[in-house]
Amino acid sequence: MAGLAATNCRQNLSGPSAGGGGGDDGALHIYTWANYTDDGLADAFTERTGIPVVVDIFDSNEIMLTRMQAGGGDAYSILYPSDYMVSEMLELNLLTELDQSRITGLENLKAQWANPAYDPNNAHSIPFCWGTTGLLYNREVSPGEPIDWDFLWENQDALSRRITMLDDMRETLGATLKSLGYSYNSSNPAEIEAAYNRLLELQPHIAAFKTTGFENELLGGDLSVSMAYSSDAIALTLEDDRMEYIIPDSGASLWTDTLAIPATAPNVDAAYQWINFLLEPETASAAVERLYFATANQAAFERLPADIQNNQDLYPPEEVLAKSEGIVAVDADSTDLFDQFWTEVTSA
Amino acid sequence: MTPASAPIPSTTWAARLAPRRWLGPVVLLAPAGVWLLLLLVLPTLLILEISLVPGLRLGQPSGGYGLGNYLQILQPVYLRVIGRSLAFAVGSTLLCLVLGFPVAYWLALLSPRRWRNLLLVGFILPLWTSSLLRAYAWTTILRPSGVFNTMLTTLGLPAQNWLNTPTAVFIGLTYSFLPYMVLILYASLEKLDTRLLEAAADLGATPRQSFWKITVPQTLPGIAAASLLVFISTLSDFVVPTLLGGASSMNISRLIYNQFLGPTRAWGFGSALSMVLILAVSLAIALLLRYGDRNTVTEA
Repeated sequence: MAGLAATNCRQNLSGPSAGGGGGDDGALHIYTWANYTDDGLADAFTERTGIPVVVDIFDSNEIMLTRMQAGGGDAYSILYPSDYMVSEMLELNLLTELDQSRITGLENLKAQWANPAYDPNNAHSIPFCWGTTGLLYNREVSPGEPIDWDFLWENQDALSRRITMLDDMRETLGATLKSLGYSYNSSNPAEIEAAYNRLLELQPHIAAFKTTGFENELLGGDLSVSMAYSSDAIALTLEDDRMEYIIPDSGASLWTDTLAIPATAPNVDAAYQWINFLLEPETASAAVERLYFATANQAAFERLPADIQNNQDLYPPEEVLAKSEGIVAVDADSTDLFDQFWTEVTSA
Repeated sequence: MTPASAPIPSTTWAARLAPRRWLGPVVLLAPAGVWLLLLLVLPTLLILEISLVPGLRLGQPSGGYGLGNYLQILQPVYLRVIGRSLAFAVGSTLLCLVLGFPVAYWLALLSPRRWRNLLLVGFILPLWTSSLLRAYAWTTILRPSGVFNTMLTTLGLPAQNWLNTPTAVFIGLTYSFLPYMVLILYASLEKLDTRLLEAAADLGATPRQSFWKITVPQTLPGIAAASLLVFISTLSDFVVPTLLGGASSMNISRLIYNQFLGPTRAWGFGSALSMVLILAVSLAIALLLRYGDRNTVTEA
């Protein structure tokens, strides 16, 4: 079994393979974002524990949540929800309360994650990595060097249909709120409406709302600027000199992706082993060197080569982080307003 | 007594079979019937039920039944999406008809007989590849630095940025469904009685007159069948508007997708939208059965 799993391409992009009850086959089934695990990580785990690893990929928190709710609750032992999704899943009782006595290496985490707002005391989730959401641009074709979100509005004619924004309601409306000087988590109807009107002004110039799949067009110069998660952007900036990533001056969103165990997970033992495995500084730093995510593990960070430690896209300076905000769940009325305006903007 | 020589009284057989005459059709239809019941009728009823729970969101409490989701569709933003879907469907159906009719006419009546089958296969060939792949191919052709613009600029014409506009959606839909149009029209035109055309010519009709007075009326059921089939397929297409239309072309399929897998997760509203789409398509199929030439559809 292990040999078979090792030769297979683990990243199953065509669709979740672990159907109902698929988690009972002794393997560790993981449901995660692209680029967070690779064969190196999975093989090292299998070598250590003898447990084969099967990885399925999702590209938005909402798709993951829908799958967990629509009868996929017993298919996975490990999930990678983002901060606000942890809160949402907690409200829906979808996550296991972690048995802290079975987890080793929590002291390795950076201090800022000791008691995160989205999951007090990390009772249900373990911070895995973090990042920002900013602008990725191609220097060769961009009409200038963006320093803030305003760049998109000021250059909308030059950038017409050469921009992609994230297909992510809270991120994209949030960035617009931020460009107006408001909070990502505003619950003031007037502010949310102002952001809607501003985004509507930009809408005819937006090529597409895309969370993935803009990379080739950006590299080819058919797009100039894409709103992107830092985890996706940095890999491109390292691959190609023309690519630059910036964290806008007025502030960006600061997100955390976590490790969590579904309430109805099979093979919980293996899930704890996976969490402990990733909390080990050696494992985490080796993975970061290959996959370029910003680790939440301080001990792993200290083991990284200087050029990665000093990469300011990956680990921005404190004063930049201070201006940024985490996205948190807003009240029901504001959620309705976000929903309504997002639908209007994407359907315009 | 050998089995071969054992004559079975026919009356006994008839008596034995008579009460079970209904069994034959049931046995023949049961597999497909069960299949349709489980995978088409029941899910549709489930969608209908969910669509009647106003404001239903997965994982959140909901209250009672009502028509709230259907009333929500009447908001201007959603009517605009439905209008856009209809425009895509009608527009690309007309484009397919205008482009497809001459081709089908030439294939059926004018092309050399010995090459006809090969030419027809040539037209079906694109259908053998995945529609997703073909849509991706069009993004490569239409993007600003793509093949199409390279050709335009080589010819000294101004470059066009058509990707992520409704124009790209029309091009993609027309390309995707043109083969269906041609095949059905071909089947219809092939049966055209050419002696009528000869008689018209003998009686002094111009080619234009005989085209409008004979060819078109004779093939009208085929035209209706082909147009309705293309209309149904384009109305609910998801791949082409998503990949080629970008932010400019939210249509009903994309809107339904967003209600289930997007941030809003409004399953009730998404189900109501699905019911409206199912109704529209059923209506078109009813028209197809009433006015279309069913034989040409099945032959094609």
